[in-house]
Amino acid sequence: MTSLGSSSSSSMEYIVRVPKNTNKRYNIMAFNAGDKVNCSTWAQARMERDMSNRRMYGEEEVVEGAAGSEFGKKQREEARRKKFGIVTREFRVEDQPWILKVNGKAGRRFKGQKKGGVTENASYYIFTQCPDGAFEAFPVSAWYNFTPLAKHRTLTAEEAEEEWGRRNKVVNHFSIMLQRRLREQERGDDDEEEGEKAGKKKKKKGDKGGDLRIHDLEDDLEMSSDDSDSSVGEDGESKPKAKKEAAKKGKGGKKKKKKKGSDSEAMEDSDDGDFEGLEVDYMSDDSSSDEDEPEKVKPNKGEDVPKGIDEASESEEESEEEKQNEEEGKDEEDEEGKKTPVQQEKKKRRDSSEESESSEDSDIEGRADSALFMVKKRTPPKRGGGRGSGGSSRTGSRPGTPSIDTASTSSTLRAAATKLEQGKRQTAPPSSDTPPAKRLKMASNPQSPAEKSVQQAASGKSTPSSSDVQLTEEAVRRYLIRKPMTTKDLLKKFQTKRTGLSSEQTVNVLAQILKRLNPERKNINDKMHFYLTE
Amino acid sequence: MSEKGEVDLTGAKQNTGVWLVKVPKYLSQQWAKASGRGEVGKLRIVKNQGKAEVSFTLNEELTAIDCVGEKASSVRAPRDHPFTMQTVGGQTLAVFTENPSGQSEDRSDGSAPDKLVLEGVVVQRAECRPAVSENYMQLKRLQIEESSKPVRLSQQLEKPVTTNYKPVSNHTYNVEYEKKKKEEGKRARGDKQQVLDMLFSAFEKHQYYNIKDLVDITKQPVTFLKEILHDIGIYNVKGTHKNTWELRPEYRHYQGEEKSD
Repeated sequence: MTSLGSSSSSSMEYIVRVPKNTNKRYNIMAFNAGDKVNCSTWAQARMERDMSNRRMYGEEEVVEGAAGSEFGKKQREEARRKKFGIVTREFRVEDQPWILKVNGKAGRRFKGQKKGGVTENASYYIFTQCPDGAFEAFPVSAWYNFTPLAKHRTLTAEEAEEEWGRRNKVVNHFSIMLQRRLREQERGDDDEEEGEKAGKKKKKKGDKGGDLRIHDLEDDLEMSSDDSDSSVGEDGESKPKAKKEAAKKGKGGKKKKKKKGSDSEAMEDSDDGDFEGLEVDYMSDDSSSDEDEPEKVKPNKGEDVPKGIDEASESEEESEEEKQNEEEGKDEEDEEGKKTPVQQEKKKRRDSSEESESSEDSDIEGRADSALFMVKKRTPPKRGGGRGSGGSSRTGSRPGTPSIDTASTSSTLRAAATKLEQGKRQTAPPSSDTPPAKRLKMASNPQSPAEKSVQQAASGKSTPSSSDVQLTEEAVRRYLIRKPMTTKDLLKKFQTKRTGLSSEQTVNVLAQILKRLNPERKNINDKMHFYLTE
Repeated sequence: MSEKGEVDLTGAKQNTGVWLVKVPKYLSQQWAKASGRGEVGKLRIVKNQGKAEVSFTLNEELTAIDCVGEKASSVRAPRDHPFTMQTVGGQTLAVFTENPSGQSEDRSDGSAPDKLVLEGVVVQRAECRPAVSENYMQLKRLQIEESSKPVRLSQQLEKPVTTNYKPVSNHTYNVEYEKKKKEEGKRARGDKQQVLDMLFSAFEKHQYYNIKDLVDITKQPVTFLKEILHDIGIYNVKGTHKNTWELRPEYRHYQGEEKSD
C-alpha cells in the first residue's frame, strides 16, 4: 500500500485479491427502495428455501400398488408424456425462492426470487476491505430480489371481482374483510354465508332461487302461447340473480318477461278500464317498472283465468312456490319503494305468516284495478273474470280464495289439499257443485284484503278440482269465453288425473263438447284457437 | 452450530460496507487464473478535490489471454481499468453468503443445511471499464469473431453416406422376434386353477390390469384368459381406468377399500 502525496489530492493504492479457496457462495439480497428495509434493525432472521414448487414423484398417484393402481401405470404415463412432448422442468433447489422471516413471528416476511441473467455477460464482484487494507473480491453467484409478503388477509381474485362489482353500493369497506373472516368461520353454513352479505340481498337471493323453481313448474301449466314467455322469464330471473344489483334489475328482468309475454300473445284481452285508477308512483327511480306493470298486467289478466283452474288441479307445491314468488315480488317492490296499494297488500300479506286465504274477492270488488298490479300472473283479474261467470260456477269462487279461515291452516296448501280431496269424494256437494271450500270462500268474502295471488293460487287450487274433474261443457264454455284456446290447452285443463278419464276418453268427450259448442275459430301464432263470445 | 435457516446477522449489525462492482467477463476470466494468494492487481483511489477516482490495474502476469483457435496469445488484456462509481440509490442491497457445510450425514433433500451469513450492506456500486486501447480493440474483435461463428455448420460431403439403410431381406430385429415367437410357441391353456392363482396374486399387487399385461403375466391364450376373467372380474369401460380389468368386488379385499364378502 503506497500513498503518494500530491497537491490537493491523495491517492491510495490497495492490492486486490481474489481468494480462490473459499467455499462460500456470495449472493445479493436486493430490497425495494420503498420497503424501507434497514438490516441493522434486525434482531433475528431466518431464511429458508421455498420448496412449495417441488412436485413429489407420485403426486397424482395416490396409491402405490394394490387398490387403485394400475399395472405399468408409471411407464405408460411416461410414454404418454414423451409422445406429447411434455417436458417438465427439473426442480433445482438453487433456483428456488427464499423465504426470509425477520424478527420472528411478529416481524416482517420476505420472499426472495432469483433474478435471471445476472451472470451471463458480466460478473459482479463484492469488494470488501480487509483489515490489512487490501481488497478482496468475491464473485456474486446469484441475485435475489426480496419483496415483502403481506401479513394481512387478502381477497382472492374471485372475491375481489365481487367486491369490485359492489364498490358503488358498499359504503363500509372495512366490513368487507370482516365479513370474509366471518364467512370463513362458518363455512359450512350456507345460509350464514348469504346472510353475511346485505341482508336484503340474502332474502332476495333466496327468493330468487325459489323464484326459479317456481317458474320451472309453472311452465308445465302455461298455455302453449306462453311457452316462450316462461323460458324468457326464467332467463330474466336467473340473470338478476347473478347480479348483485338491487331488486330493480331482478324486477326488471321479470318485467321483461311479462312484457315479452304480452308481445308474443297477440290476442290478450285488455279491457280499457283495466288501467284506470292505476296508482303510479312517479317518484320512484325505477320508472321502467311502471311502464312494465300495465303490460305485465295484461298477460296476467288473460292467463289468470284459465290458470286458476290449473292451479286448482295442480299440486299444492305450486301454491307454495307462488307464495315464495310473491314474497320475492313483495321484496322487490318494497325495495323499489313503490307505494301502490298493491304493495301495501303485499306487505300485509307478508306480515301474516300464514297464508290466510281470506278471499280476495273483497279485494277485487274494492279495487279491481289495483289488483292488476299484482306481480304474479295469478292475480285478481282472474278473479274479476271469474266473478262474472256466475255464482255457482267455479270461476266465481275460483278467484276468490277458498277463504279458509286464517286460523284454520298454517299452510293454505294443506287446506287446499284437503279441500280437493273432499271435493273429489263428494258425489253430491251440498247446494252446488262447489265443494265446501268454495262455499266457505264465498261466505267469507269480506275478509282481510291482504291477499295475493298466492292465496289466490292456493285458493284456486283448492278450488275443488271436482269441478275440473268433470269435463263438462260448462267448463269448456267458460274457458273459451275467457280466452281463445287451442285444443291442446283445453286438454291441459282437463288432465286425466283429475277427470278420471283416460286420455282417449278425454279427447272424445272434449271433441263432442266442442261440436256442441261450435266455437269460433281464430288462428293465433299459427295455431288454431277456439273461442266463444257470450 | 446454528440452526438451519438461522441467519448470522453480525455483518448487518456492524454495518459492514462493501462495494458491488460489475466486471467484464474477460477480466473475471483472467482473475480466475490468478495463482498464489490470488493477487490480481492493484486498486488506486485518488481523491481529487472531493471527487474520487478509482482505477484498477491488472497484474502483468494476468494479461495473457488464452485464445481458442489459431491465434497465439498475441492479444493481451488491457491493464488499466477505471471504475465508474455509482450510488446505490434507494435500494437496499445486502450481501449474504451460503456456506454449504458439506456434512457427512446424508440428507434426503440432498443438501446439508447451509450456513447463512449476512456479510454486509452495499455502500457503493461501481463498473469496471477497460481503458480503451489497441489491446482492448483486438480483444474485442476476437470475441466478436468467436461469437459470430454459427453454432451449426453445414459441411459438404464428397461421398454420400452409405452406411445406413441398406436394403435387407429381413431385419435383424424381426428375425430375432420371429425366433422368439417360434420357440415360445402358441400359448397353451394351463390348468384353470393355476391360472386363477396367478391372476389373484397379480391382482394383489395392482388393482387394474390391461388384458395385454395379463396375457403377458399368465402366458395364456387371450380367449381362455378372457373367459376366466369374465368369471372373476369386471371390465372397466369408462372412467379413469379405461379398458382395464379388475376383480369383482366380492373377490377383492384391498386395504382401504370396504371389505365385502
